[in-house]
Amino acid sequence: MQEFMQQVVSGIASGGVFASLALALVLIYNAMGLVNFAQGEMAMFATFIAFTLVDHGLSYWIAFPLTLVIAFAGGVLIQRIVIRPVERAPVLTLVIITLGLATLVNGAAGFLWGYIPRAFSSPFPVSTISIGGVVASLQDLGVIGVSAAVLVLIYLLLQHTTIGLSMRAAAHHPEASRLLGVRTSWMLALGWGLASAVGAVSGIMVAPVLLLEPNMMQSIIIYAFAAAVLGGIESPLGAVIGGVIVGVTVNLAGAYLPFVGGDLRLAVGLAIIVVVLILKPNGLLGRPSVRRV
Amino acid sequence: MPLLELEAVHAGYGPTTVLHGISLSIPEGGIVSLLGANGAGKTTTLRAITSGVRWSGDIRFSGRSLKRMHTEDVVRAGIAHVPEGRGILTELTVDENLKLGAHLRSDGAQVRKDYDRVFEYFPVLKERRKLSASTLSGGEQQMLAVARALLMRPRLMLLDEPSLGLAPIVVRAIFEIIRTINQTDHVAILLVEQNARLALEMSSDAYVLEVGRVAVSGASADLRGNESVRRSYLGY
Repeated sequence: MQEFMQQVVSGIASGGVFASLALALVLIYNAMGLVNFAQGEMAMFATFIAFTLVDHGLSYWIAFPLTLVIAFAGGVLIQRIVIRPVERAPVLTLVIITLGLATLVNGAAGFLWGYIPRAFSSPFPVSTISIGGVVASLQDLGVIGVSAAVLVLIYLLLQHTTIGLSMRAAAHHPEASRLLGVRTSWMLALGWGLASAVGAVSGIMVAPVLLLEPNMMQSIIIYAFAAAVLGGIESPLGAVIGGVIVGVTVNLAGAYLPFVGGDLRLAVGLAIIVVVLILKPNGLLGRPSVRRV
Repeated sequence: MPLLELEAVHAGYGPTTVLHGISLSIPEGGIVSLLGANGAGKTTTLRAITSGVRWSGDIRFSGRSLKRMHTEDVVRAGIAHVPEGRGILTELTVDENLKLGAHLRSDGAQVRKDYDRVFEYFPVLKERRKLSASTLSGGEQQMLAVARALLMRPRLMLLDEPSLGLAPIVVRAIFEIIRTINQTDHVAILLVEQNARLALEMSSDAYVLEVGRVAVSGASADLRGNESVRRSYLGY
């Protein structure tokens, strides 16, 4: 039972990482009905920036927020330079563009930092504490804490500030929002910035576990897709719940199903996507899309 | 100087021209109605004013040309546009809709007073503040749209068929409040209506559009009294 609980705790920690990246996907999906396939690569790139900052002697807790600011600015720039000119293009065009962006960012990271995996130091001590008989690693608890803090901040921003209100308005009703004086195009750019920063959190949190290299996020993005689809691709809260469920499920499957082990975890993530799309295509918290014909 | 002036405005969608040179003007604080059959270009005229459609010619607001301005800047200049279909943000709550009406204002105390007024005009909105705007009936949505426009503190309101699909008693109530807003706040109103009788009662001047041109214009009282105009253009 204890071991089971430990697996659950580290599943929740992975879930926090998946949830952050899934939330990034949801933010952009809400804003423009588009899945940003470059989200994982953007997060990886941001993680390399954090790595470089720490490497140059900055303390982790300065490098971390600084990286988020840089990632935010990067997201805004990508929207302004790459996405905005094709904003009104068919969605397939946009999908291809984000795929191209993923390849580009991946290649740029390889060019700048190389493909040799690097150890990314964790700010959390390598020790464990016991809470009510359940032994949890401080690494896991730290990841859970940071992810939760970021998700709460995003929630407060979106639900309790005027800028968040404008962002939601612009995402759901661009035309009507413009008539209320909302600068929808900038709100979209802010959405990209925010998504980029939240995604960066997932990269930085997962890097100490995975080793940092340009392809680091390629499995994480699959789990994030699974989380977003499970939660309902339009629901930020759903992304978080989906992230935790996927994290725990994958972790338990890896630990207790001998045929899954360490190698087939990704298949579990993919299976979740397929099963959800067949059984409940709108996810747990998504609404069925009604279209007037 | 009129508050809003359209001069030979042409506008359309893609290759289709809908407005073939519309000229009209609205005095400061006045109520002007824009009448005509379906497809005459009434909605397109409003959309041209707030840059929802490409136009040529000239549109001046308070003496300043609105040429090449973005919708949000036209709105920020002081024009509230309640569009066809009311423009309610149904993903948001009633309260959030109202907040977005006032979100550009920095006069907090006055905003609170305006909220009180809005809730006095439309008590039902106060009751439903926390609910999703999608749960409101058509009449309540129209009230929300007018209330939100009031909170924007515009100098000009463009109202696109506020009576559409509403019960006569609700229409009366809403028009009464539109008139009150016009008088107390000195807000000019450009009213697009299918219900010509009602619109002519409200407005001081009127323009009748026919396939993208102004067919008749003049004082509302004159149009109302002119039987041939009423028969041929207004259908009553």
